[in-house]
Amino acid sequence: MNSLAFEGVVKVILVLVLVSAVVIISRRDILSLFRSYAAQSLLLALVAFLSFIQDGQLVLLYTSVLILVVKGVFIPFILKRAQRGMSIDRDIDFHYLQPSGSILVSVLVIVGVYAAVADKLKVVSGGSLFLLGAVLGISLTLMGMMVIFSRRQVISKIVGYLVMENGVVLFSLFVSELPFLIEVLVLMDLVILVVISAILAFGMSSSLEEFHKSLNPFHDWFRGGNA
Amino acid sequence: MSAAAPVSSGWAIAVYCVLNLALSVALAPFFMSLIKKVKARVQRREGPGIFQSYYNLAKLFKKEVVYSSNSSFIMRIAPYVNVVCLLTAALFVPLVFVPAGFSGVGNIILFLYLLALAKFFMALAGLDAGSAFGGMGSSREMAISSIIEPVAMIVFASLAFSFHSLNLFDIFSQVAGSVPFLSRPTLLLVGISMFIVLITETARIPVDNPETHLELTMVHEAMVLEQSGRNLALMEISAAIKQLLLMALLVNVFLPIGLVVDLAALPLVAALSIFFIEMVILAVFIGFFESYCTKLRLFRLPTMFLIAYFLSFVTILLEVLV
Repeated sequence: MNSLAFEGVVKVILVLVLVSAVVIISRRDILSLFRSYAAQSLLLALVAFLSFIQDGQLVLLYTSVLILVVKGVFIPFILKRAQRGMSIDRDIDFHYLQPSGSILVSVLVIVGVYAAVADKLKVVSGGSLFLLGAVLGISLTLMGMMVIFSRRQVISKIVGYLVMENGVVLFSLFVSELPFLIEVLVLMDLVILVVISAILAFGMSSSLEEFHKSLNPFHDWFRGGNA
Repeated sequence: MSAAAPVSSGWAIAVYCVLNLALSVALAPFFMSLIKKVKARVQRREGPGIFQSYYNLAKLFKKEVVYSSNSSFIMRIAPYVNVVCLLTAALFVPLVFVPAGFSGVGNIILFLYLLALAKFFMALAGLDAGSAFGGMGSSREMAISSIIEPVAMIVFASLAFSFHSLNLFDIFSQVAGSVPFLSRPTLLLVGISMFIVLITETARIPVDNPETHLELTMVHEAMVLEQSGRNLALMEISAAIKQLLLMALLVNVFLPIGLVVDLAALPLVAALSIFFIEMVILAVFIGFFESYCTKLRLFRLPTMFLIAYFLSFVTILLEVLV
């Protein structure tokens, strides 16, 4: 593959990653959140695979396969199972920001990130592709953060965490390659995080506020103990 | 055939005008019924035939026009203003043939304002008859327009940024015969945004329902409720032309493999058939999309429009900065 075609294809994929992030911000149907996350991860795996074809570094191939298996298949599978047990299929309440507000803020985030990092990254790396990947990586992280604080249901907050992590992966694919061992460890952590929070979400079965309410009866016990 | 000169002769421009207008008027009702047919088939109904819109129009042109006793001259001129605006707009979007050096026509902003002018007169006519439904429809349409207009502006601005031109002829002659989104991936984003604008401007399902006359939900249909006979036919044909133009814009920006720059008989026929096939595919897609979606609540529409806004804003950002 010549480098011009590579750049074109990767740009298309990055653009699609952005589309998936917007879908994750705005959709209310929880299953489609998982599907969009899986699609986003597949796109990242594809970017890693294309970089492997371009550069020939085996680490990139391993990373690509790992992303594909863990984030494209395994984590969505766990999430789907947790969701099936919870009998929630739509997340309709939002904190602080409605989806339309989040999308507007995302625009500002991307502009802000670009303004903040463009000069510094131009020194580090030459091509516009790297700059694009880095800007979108950081923006994706911040967009994931927005998902975390604007969603109410715990299970969709988890998707926010996962989007944040995808942003980090995107950034690392373009700017500073992490050692493979660390990629593996991060993914292990991610799986454990998803499993634990899926169990927690299953226990709470809805939002943090409601969980808090159901904890209230115990509150009296502890007060009694302290007095 | 001799090679075409860089600046088109008056003859080529005349051919362009006749071809574009004839195609827009002739094909527009076809795609209306095609989408209806697809939706019917998805619902396992037989549905109207694909020429039903032509029969409807022919019937309406023969019927007499009835005016409400409250209505003023607005009601009488609105259908003509509409159809004239849309026919003028039809000159702005080259369907199969782009003449070189046809300056003065094809400005994107003027194109948008022609559509807006037509819509404005339609809303006025809705208010003019003095019925409750018409006023309600106009008010809803203007509420939606006030959100989608700036979004459409940004979408077309992103198109202009991608091609460094505000002129549709210029843009189309840059991309004619190629697959531009391979070299300009941001066009994917513009494509999604343009699709959202298309759905909104043609009053299709997540925004409005073209099938219904239920007072709770109708938007576009409520405005033309008081129109009858020839005037209704003109309103319907201008809605069909608007849909065709926006669809053609999407097809020709995104996949202009059929678009020809030189005037010759054989390539023109080939271009026409490729264009027709692409439009049929898009119409079928719209039909499926409409069947797949449910109508959104009015207050959730801004989210959809903001997706279009976001994607085109990002396009501008990518084109200008990175």
